[in-house]
Amino acid sequence: MKSVLKLIRRFVGIMLLSSALLIILNFILLFLYTVSQLPNSQPWQTAQEVADNLFQNDNGYVLPEDITIELKKNDTWAIFIDNATMRVVWRTDNLPETVPMSYSISDIAHLTRGYIDGYPTFTGEAENGLVVLGYPKDSFWKHMWPSWDYSLIANLPKTFLSVLVINIALIFIIYIIANSRLLKSVKPIVGGIQSLPTEETIHIKEKGLLSELAQSINKTSEILHSQRKQLRKKETARANWIAGVSHDIRTPLSMVMGYASQLESDNGLSEDDRKKAAVIVEQSRRMRNLINDLNLASKLEYNMQPINPARQNLVAVVRQVVVDFINMDIDDKHPIAWETDEALTVCLADIDKDLIKRAVSNLIQNCMNHNEQGCHIFVRVTTGENNCLITVDDDGAGATDEQIERLNHSPHYMLCDENTSMQRHGLGLLIVKQIAAAHGGTTGIGHSSYGGFSVKLALPMEE
Amino acid sequence: MNSDYLKQKRILLVDDEQELLDMVVSILQKDGFQNIKTAKTAAKAIAISETYQPEFAILDVMLPDDTGFNLIKRLKSTFDYPVLFLTARGEDDDKFRGFGLGADDYMVKPFLPKELLFRINAILRRSYKDENPLVKLPGCEIDFDRAEVIKNGKHISLTAKEHNILAALYRNAGRIVTIDALCEAAWGDNPFGYENSLMAHIRRIREKIEANPSSPVALITIKGLGYKLMVEGK
Repeated sequence: MKSVLKLIRRFVGIMLLSSALLIILNFILLFLYTVSQLPNSQPWQTAQEVADNLFQNDNGYVLPEDITIELKKNDTWAIFIDNATMRVVWRTDNLPETVPMSYSISDIAHLTRGYIDGYPTFTGEAENGLVVLGYPKDSFWKHMWPSWDYSLIANLPKTFLSVLVINIALIFIIYIIANSRLLKSVKPIVGGIQSLPTEETIHIKEKGLLSELAQSINKTSEILHSQRKQLRKKETARANWIAGVSHDIRTPLSMVMGYASQLESDNGLSEDDRKKAAVIVEQSRRMRNLINDLNLASKLEYNMQPINPARQNLVAVVRQVVVDFINMDIDDKHPIAWETDEALTVCLADIDKDLIKRAVSNLIQNCMNHNEQGCHIFVRVTTGENNCLITVDDDGAGATDEQIERLNHSPHYMLCDENTSMQRHGLGLLIVKQIAAAHGGTTGIGHSSYGGFSVKLALPMEE
Repeated sequence: MNSDYLKQKRILLVDDEQELLDMVVSILQKDGFQNIKTAKTAAKAIAISETYQPEFAILDVMLPDDTGFNLIKRLKSTFDYPVLFLTARGEDDDKFRGFGLGADDYMVKPFLPKELLFRINAILRRSYKDENPLVKLPGCEIDFDRAEVIKNGKHISLTAKEHNILAALYRNAGRIVTIDALCEAAWGDNPFGYENSLMAHIRRIREKIEANPSSPVALITIKGLGYKLMVEGK
């Protein structure tokens, strides 16, 4: 909703700014127009100029040539009324015939304010009389009764500002009222759109200005909800299917393992038969590990594996796994060296102990599975800047650069949605990666300095 | 230490698969257990329990007429004896439920006979003390009940911590016990920073149990990992 308020603020800002700009623009235009109309005041000046330049000689009144030409150019006529006789004592050649040649005082008052026979007239005061210029009809409009109440003129700035402010306020109120309705409709729509990516179902009231949009959002939410439900159902069914199959295999596999194990240690059998039984036991164990891995991997993938983190000493957890392996490794084909610095006794991390034990077990088991002829395994816990590092190395067959690249970056077949045969590596490493990721950690696969394979788990250290 | 008396214990085995019952019986018999009764249903298990009075039970969780979780409650209501769950249900919740109902161990199928026997023997050893409580080490004997070591005819007392450490080592005799597990045995849950104290206790234990504490043969150090107690006959 923050973005909506921001949007509204921006709209209001733009509106106020545009109003202010409009007013300023108007003033500028008015000013420019007024300036352009300045020549309008020229008739009075021209009349005064004629009055000032009209001089009397022996032949009567004479106007200089240049002014005469100028008047003619503007199609303007001029007369000079003598103060003493109130008669026209000088005139230009183009004087219309309808213009009277003698004037009373009231005529003078009338022509000063207005017109003579429709010609707008302008006066200039000379020494012995009055010069009157007559411009072509309809060239000027004259305000004949120019008087206002004094207080009106005195209060004009105040009145003008008040009207302006009232106007702006009115525009603002109209905008707010108009937009608040829109906003009221927009608010649930925006809320709905923002909630679409979440798991919850959305239902917006389908009325108001944006009811069609609300309908579409409700429909989209329903589709998304149903798709999520279907996907979840599918994932649960898949995980349950894996769990069910692995459960059903366990009891028959128990019997295969149990009897084969008994045959393996039966002294009454030939060496060859006992070896065959040992192979069955070994392969059954691999199947058991595969079932366990498949189950856990699918649960981790679909977030169905509960993770119960607690503050644990990683050194102790990893040490216990190593000791369990050493206690089990009867034939001593895969001796494990504990390389953790003796000074490092505690490395605290918030972890699910069982899952981390499972990850480290998988790594050690991997070394054994891929080096059946035997190898040395090296396990150590170290501390990084903000993390605890668990490294499992071996000096066995190792892997090529290409294989390591693939292990680090190619998706496992359980997670791959493409039909390719390139991702067929075991589930052990996938589980390690999933467990590390579930703890906010990382997995790095590479070459070991001992010549074999190396996997490093980095888990966030507890502060 | 003689564990023959454990082989005489009466065992009740409950699973709905006859083939599995037969196989487990053969595993147990091969290890020397002689008194074994089997049941394919919870009802039959209750009936056998009333007359046979088992001293140890191995139960499946999924039975045709009831669950193993209900069965353990009913069995333990008459007489409290150790129980091990042997089931195909490997979910954490199931394990927690089983332990919560008083099971001594929980094993998920499939299993190796060796592992099953190891767990059964460990449970029985914990639950039924030997009439002859002396544990024989190279060069001495330990009497855990009296918390003392008998060396060259002399009785040397063990402190509570030494007793707890030795008991943890004895429970896993012949196997490595981590430094952390020993600290936990002596000082309780999540003991951090007790490694040096543990070393001091180990030194004192060696002085009591070893003929030559500077070159130990009974209590062996596994560098960086833990210690191993060598018991005669194990």
